[in-house]
Amino acid sequence: MGLRNDQGIVLRGFPFGEADRVVVLLSPNHGKVRAVAKGVRRTKSRFGGRLEPFTHVDLVLYEGRNLDTITQVSVIEAHAGLRGDLDRVLAAGTMVEVIDAVTQENESSLRAFLLLQRGLSALDDGPRHPDMVAAFLLKAADVVGIAPAFEHCAGCGRTADLTRFSFAAGGVLCERDRTPGAVALRPGLTGYLAGLARSDLANLPDHDAGFSGEAMGVTRRFIEYHLDRRLKSLTVDG
Amino acid sequence: MYEAPVQRLIDELARLPGIGQKSAQRLAFHILHIEAEDANRLAGAIVAMREQVRLCRRCFNVTDSEECTICRDLRRDSSEVCVVERAQDIVVVERTQEFRGRYHVLGGSISPIEGIGPDQLRMRELVVRVDDEKIVEVIVATNPTVEGDTTALYLARLLKPLGVKVTRLASGLPVGGDLDYADEITLGRALAGRREL
Ligand SMILES: [Zn+2]
Ligand SMILES: [Zn+2]
Repeated sequence: MGLRNDQGIVLRGFPFGEADRVVVLLSPNHGKVRAVAKGVRRTKSRFGGRLEPFTHVDLVLYEGRNLDTITQVSVIEAHAGLRGDLDRVLAAGTMVEVIDAVTQENESSLRAFLLLQRGLSALDDGPRHPDMVAAFLLKAADVVGIAPAFEHCAGCGRTADLTRFSFAAGGVLCERDRTPGAVALRPGLTGYLAGLARSDLANLPDHDAGFSGEAMGVTRRFIEYHLDRRLKSLTVDG
Repeated sequence: MYEAPVQRLIDELARLPGIGQKSAQRLAFHILHIEAEDANRLAGAIVAMREQVRLCRRCFNVTDSEECTICRDLRRDSSEVCVVERAQDIVVVERTQEFRGRYHVLGGSISPIEGIGPDQLRMRELVVRVDDEKIVEVIVATNPTVEGDTTALYLARLLKPLGVKVTRLASGLPVGGDLDYADEITLGRALAGRREL
């Protein structure tokens, strides 16, 4: 036991005792970290503002038997812009929920951390791309090793006739290999999804309004199928 | 484990917010040793509160009649409504003696991460009030948290098309505090919300 330094992005927090808060952060090297911030629910606390979701912070932690206690916090990146725009704050909520679902405690999580950091920065900095969340979900799938195949059939590897998407097979299927549960895709959608999965979040392909709803629908169902849970944040509609 | 009646009270008390097993035991033994009359008064107060208190049909504040005392007060300005997350927050705003309008209790805040959406809050009731009561300004007094911010942004998007002015409490420095004690996020917001002198 003693003091240690760490950094992380705040995923969420919940009230603890009279005036404390337990904060759940994602650290690049230690996975999810739970720590107590004492007295932060009092207006006088100088910690509170720094430990809100989406904030990337540098921490000094006092190691305890069950929970660590946060003794110092400084802000690396506040992402303050996210909180001034409804669509952005809702999108950031989904990013955090997915990353929360795919990471564990005491387990290195550098790729998930970097993805979340890039996702929040891209949302905060540039113009908002309507399919940013879909692209983020596809990249999160890649981080946990379930990236869907878009460019070749998940059954036979063929690149032609890709007309269906199978949640169970984890990718597109050709006409020959189609399974009863596979959904039909509009021509061109696989190419659009592949583009979203491939591009940097700060530099996504041009938004195509014709594909937007379907791209998000397929991606969301895919992620929910593989995580075996609903994404609560996506039920909150702006 | 204690004797069943004692343990039962300890278990009930331990379910209250901010009370752990230890405090629950302390309270239970305190109640065991006070006069029977005092214990009855405590039990009676709990029962009476639950029986008599209900929600104001207009603003959802707690009240013992159809409408709360604030909504019934004819001197209050009905063109201004202050939106709060919880009924307890009304008392806090009232203490300032700066606000002469009415209130609206949402019953919580939007939390994308917890999946609490506008449908679970009293948003529709507010829209109806804006229309019915000729409300001119809606002052959003949600907490300065991500959830409170999200709720305020949602309310602005929902209400502005109705032609009502939507404002938010300013975030800033605690009065009587030292500038160098403020965190950068609070200070940044105070700067963004600065006003001309
Ligand atoms: Zn095939
Ligand atoms: Zn009322």
